[in-house]
Amino acid sequence: MRDTPLSNCERDFLLKAIEEKKRLDGRQTYDYRNIKITFGTDYGCCFVDLGKTRVMAQVSCELVTPKESRPNEGIMFFNLELSPMASPAFELGRSSELLVKLNRQLERCLRNSKCIDTESLCVVSGEKVWQIRVDVHMLNHDGNLMDATSIAAIAALSHFKRPDVGIQGDEVTVYSPEERDPIALSIYHMPICVSFSFFQQGTYLLVDPCEREERVMDGLLMIAMNKHREICSIQSSGGIMLLKEQVLRCSKIASVKVSEITDLITKALENDKKARKEGRKCGFAESMPQERITALKTYETSVEMTDLTKQASDIVESAHARAEIALSPVLPAPGMGQVGTGLQNAWGLEDEDDEDDDDDEDGDEPEVTIVAEKRGNKEKRERPVVIISDSEEEEVVILNPESS
Amino acid sequence: MATVQLSEAEKVYVLHGIRDDLRVDGRSCEDYRHMEIETDVVSNTDGSAKVTLGHTAVLVGIKAEMGKPRPAQPAEGYLEFFVDCSANATPEFEGRGGEELGTELTNTLYRVFNNKRSVDLASLCISPGEHCWLLYVDVLLLQCDGNLYDGISIAIKAALFNTKLPKVLISEGEEGGTEIELSDDPYDSVRLSVDNVPCIVTLCKVGPRHVVDATLQEKACSVASLIMAVTPAGTCTCMRKVGGGSLDPESFFEMTEAGRRVGRALHGPLMALLSQEEALGQKRQKVGFLG
Amino acid sequence: MAGLELLSDQGYRLDGRKATELRKVQARMGVFAQADGSAYIEQGNTKALAVVYGPHEMRGSRSRTLHDRAVINCQYSMATFSTAERKRRPHGDRKSTEMSLHLKQTFEAAVMTQLYPRSQIDIYVKVLQADGGNYSVCVNAATLAVIDAGIPMRDYVCACTVGFVDETPLADLCFAEESGGGSSLALALLPRGGQIALLQMDARLHQDHLEALMEAAMTACKGVSKVLDEVVRQHLQEVSVLTGE
Repeated sequence: MRDTPLSNCERDFLLKAIEEKKRLDGRQTYDYRNIKITFGTDYGCCFVDLGKTRVMAQVSCELVTPKESRPNEGIMFFNLELSPMASPAFELGRSSELLVKLNRQLERCLRNSKCIDTESLCVVSGEKVWQIRVDVHMLNHDGNLMDATSIAAIAALSHFKRPDVGIQGDEVTVYSPEERDPIALSIYHMPICVSFSFFQQGTYLLVDPCEREERVMDGLLMIAMNKHREICSIQSSGGIMLLKEQVLRCSKIASVKVSEITDLITKALENDKKARKEGRKCGFAESMPQERITALKTYETSVEMTDLTKQASDIVESAHARAEIALSPVLPAPGMGQVGTGLQNAWGLEDEDDEDDDDDEDGDEPEVTIVAEKRGNKEKRERPVVIISDSEEEEVVILNPESS
Repeated sequence: MATVQLSEAEKVYVLHGIRDDLRVDGRSCEDYRHMEIETDVVSNTDGSAKVTLGHTAVLVGIKAEMGKPRPAQPAEGYLEFFVDCSANATPEFEGRGGEELGTELTNTLYRVFNNKRSVDLASLCISPGEHCWLLYVDVLLLQCDGNLYDGISIAIKAALFNTKLPKVLISEGEEGGTEIELSDDPYDSVRLSVDNVPCIVTLCKVGPRHVVDATLQEKACSVASLIMAVTPAGTCTCMRKVGGGSLDPESFFEMTEAGRRVGRALHGPLMALLSQEEALGQKRQKVGFLG
Repeated sequence: MAGLELLSDQGYRLDGRKATELRKVQARMGVFAQADGSAYIEQGNTKALAVVYGPHEMRGSRSRTLHDRAVINCQYSMATFSTAERKRRPHGDRKSTEMSLHLKQTFEAAVMTQLYPRSQIDIYVKVLQADGGNYSVCVNAATLAVIDAGIPMRDYVCACTVGFVDETPLADLCFAEESGGGSSLALALLPRGGQIALLQMDARLHQDHLEALMEAAMTACKGVSKVLDEVVRQHLQEVSVLTGE
């Protein structure tokens, strides 16, 4: 199945919003969406939510014979899966351009930067080494898969523990976790990828593009860095023309973002460790809110309301103007709209009425909405389950006419 | 292959020309097109050659590796062929598009070259049953304008002529086993004998007659062609009929005779040219694709 | 770093070059008659062939057609004998697929694709001998081939790979330097506007060094562009003499 195409209107709207330095979800240009890192009950399993983008990374290991050229180094293997679950545009079993791009970038970011001590993964030189396999699955695609992937992969690697091995003569014994405590990988540094998207021939720059923004962007610049401000990889993609200054500016922004994200990962790892130590319940299931229908969860969007008053009055003014031009408004039957040349749009008239009302309470309107919002919040907090069941009923009401 | 589409009138023109022993480019029926050969063009191979035959361009690289002889022939080395029909030749070969033609060519090359009557395989053996030289013959098609088989076989012969294998010293190791030592000196090398290496001659049956070294245009007019591998002595080591049409026994006999004649005539100047190039030694100005 | 000294105390590199010195670049346009454009380039011991077909009608699935510009289709492949260790397949592995993507990206930025709506331009590059800087050499070869095909571009696209050893940027890496483990940065530049069509960097490098490295890469690219320009001019001269103008 192919993606639903983006209409020209949507495209223009998005680009215009970006030109006005506004983003759909109310973020600032250099803001990341909310990042949530959760770990599974097993070692080496990590879920990362980046806004609505969701990826899962699972690390596993096995004993293999090393490559001939590097007899005493362990092997790192990265595998990405774009399942159709994440987006209808992804097809199973086909290596698309996107997949190759993500996979190679992850390899470059984590393997070529030598962030993991591969020599410590050697068991018997030239015969047995650990192969660390990182599988990353995309669960939901809402843009910026690369950053989510890199965070998930490095967090999972940091969380992972491999079984201990003992060597006696020629015999290699792999101990189960009950016999000996598993060993964590030694990680030198944490490279994290930060994506910058460029719009309008590189005039505008956004951090962490969401899916909509990715669709209208000209190109992407991915910079992988660690918190020591060392660049581990840079990759530009898409047909953009960059200037040197832009790249340097991006690298500066990236260093800030990377240190924030690194702190977040360390904190998440600490929390998980503490939870495990104290014997509390840990793992992925714990992080899910219980008795809640997750699919109907609404994300709150902060709405900018500074120039709302002015905008509302602008709209009202233009609406008035339109009403005057209208020649002979034909009054339709109640509840019926009539659209045609020379006819007044009935829908527009209704709107106008609404706006007139707005106009009356123009001054205190923003406050009112805020109060309403607050009230809504309170209600939600008090009886969360009730509200959700309410909305479920609403869903049913909407669905019924469609099915009949 | 860049497809050539001929109209009926063009076909008639080509056919009539061939009937009168005058081909479109002025050749007679048993003439080859202008041919250029250069050896030693890729420096990280053990032997390489570039051949252009009209617009057909072929590059062959030979890499030698130490391997284990096949159990059936413990005292012989062997050759591995690979034909890469690259997208450079035509966009149709992009991706996996060239694989079919590549496999067909590869299979023919195995039959023509990989036997001890064509190539001196015994000289590739280092120690019977244990070590032998394994020659990877990689053919790269850069441009196709008909007569691929002839071009490829000439390039392979030239590359085999150019192949230099490092000298191997076998000594008794300390613990009874054998130790193999390769000579570091690039001039201290062994050459392969190419005395019996055949060249392929393709004869295209066009109308009542047959032509040698057909261009794509002429190939479009022909119904069937005969591929013959001819050694310098004039013996035929392999023969195959390709194409959808049929050949009647009489013309078949004529064609084999012509093939042998042309093949024998081809080897002489080829070897002369190769040794002449060799004689220039280090002084030779390498042209490659820059010329 | 395997005990190899990539930059001697006197400031010379393994092959005797200075830090900012490029390898010898030799190129020729119009190598093949059948293709619409072709070029061959030698940069030191790295040799590459590029062939351009098009702009022509879309081949294969028409769903990829773009109504406002041409589709650029690239394939990067390496001859099986091009590397020191024989390659099993000329193309189709992850690295070459990625390389094809990068080439495509580079030329989408540089070729004036909006002049050929609903058509396709094929660019095929083949590395005949690999000795470092494969991507860069391929870009340079493809640039010449595109020019030979008479397809308008915004500017020459020149690419160069630079490395960073002992606090010094090294221009135009050869294979030994590339595999030496230092960081390497590949950059494709449109020299006139100083625009970067592709930027790719591997291995660790402190942020503060980035500027110096990019500066070195851009200077090297400008050097390459001069050579390419000369090749194009000479080719045109030869052609015009041949056609008797």
